[in-house]
Amino acid sequence: MEAINSYQVKLESFEGPLDLLLFLIRKKKLDIHDIPIAVITREYLKYLEKKEHINLEHEAEFLLIAALLIYIKSQLLLPRETVPEEEKDPRQDLVNRLLDYQNIKTACSILRKKEKDQMQKWQRSFLPPMPASDELEFLEVSLFDLAEVFFSLMKKKERENVKLIKGKEYSSKEKTEEILGLLKKNDFLDFLDFFNKHQYIDEAMLSFFCLLDLIKNRIIFAVQDTLFSKIKVWLRKESAA
Amino acid sequence: MNLNLKSIIESLIFISREPLTFEKIKSILNEIPDKEIETAISELIRTYSSQDKGIKITKTGGGYLFITKTENDKWIKRLLNLEKKSKLSPAALETLSTVAYHQPITQAEISSLRGVDSTHALKTLLKKRLLKITGRKKSPGRPLIYRTTNKFLIYFGLDSIKDLPSNEEIEIILGEEENHE
Repeated sequence: MEAINSYQVKLESFEGPLDLLLFLIRKKKLDIHDIPIAVITREYLKYLEKKEHINLEHEAEFLLIAALLIYIKSQLLLPRETVPEEEKDPRQDLVNRLLDYQNIKTACSILRKKEKDQMQKWQRSFLPPMPASDELEFLEVSLFDLAEVFFSLMKKKERENVKLIKGKEYSSKEKTEEILGLLKKNDFLDFLDFFNKHQYIDEAMLSFFCLLDLIKNRIIFAVQDTLFSKIKVWLRKESAA
Repeated sequence: MNLNLKSIIESLIFISREPLTFEKIKSILNEIPDKEIETAISELIRTYSSQDKGIKITKTGGGYLFITKTENDKWIKRLLNLEKKSKLSPAALETLSTVAYHQPITQAEISSLRGVDSTHALKTLLKKRLLKITGRKKSPGRPLIYRTTNKFLIYFGLDSIKDLPSNEEIEIILGEEENHE
């Protein structure tokens, strides 16, 4: 026991306040189902006090749980005029959270072992693409990537402060044909360039939806050479034929 | 027809980049009874489990896949000029495991289970394609819903989500930890 008491554990080494609480419960050999709130609060605050200043950005959650502990203690202390039947133990919610978290944490340790084990097994598709060769390896991009690029572009457009004077009607059918026409002519489209050419946001939006629709119908596909690089849109060979 | 099923299936698994599912094999070999395919697969797995084979067939992510033997890891790394693959950060692993056990789940629910904000870890996991967004929850704010992907299963060598560490396994470890102290 002495050994555990003597070594210093910094706040940073905990994943979060629940992690710290579990650690303290273990250290003090407390029963998780019947936590002495005063003891655990005192221990918990000791750790917070060790920190010279709390970084609100990253450690606000530790304060939140500290406040919760004190709140629970106050609930336990306050005399009640009428004791409602089957009154819930104010600690119950916290205990449930801790038990859930303890399960996740333990599962993590098992998964970590599996990860280590898997890392020693190699699969052919994990091989880095062979250099040279004119055929490039592509990563197919997800809707998430597309939307991210699209929205950042729209944000940029917004700043240009374009005033829409007259509305023009666009049809999704025409737009789809325009995209397909461009693809047949140019092999591929640069996703960013393509939208940059659009003058109006509503037209760009329509193009984006048409593009998504074409991807969904497996007529075109969006890829990138490597993560975070340019997204290119290609016509699927089988549909071009 | 006298097909050498074992040899055909071996080629199919060899050429697949993703785990090859039983259904897929079945659809390719159409009209071959399940039983015969099953026998061929298990014989194939037995052949590859022999001591002097450098590759094995494993069932992961719902399908069959060729992988190298654990013992040969260091030689492969030499060939590929790699030191080691990078592990997931503790925050990412915890977030991933939270999603795995509580999916479908929203960002707020994950953060509440972990007691810390999980936005950053979620982003990393989406980029790594270990998690995916499957829609929005019909609740105020219509938050995004997260689930684990097939790549998640393959990453940990699990065949299906049912192979996640069970409550019993978790209990055993918790018991051991208590005795340890």
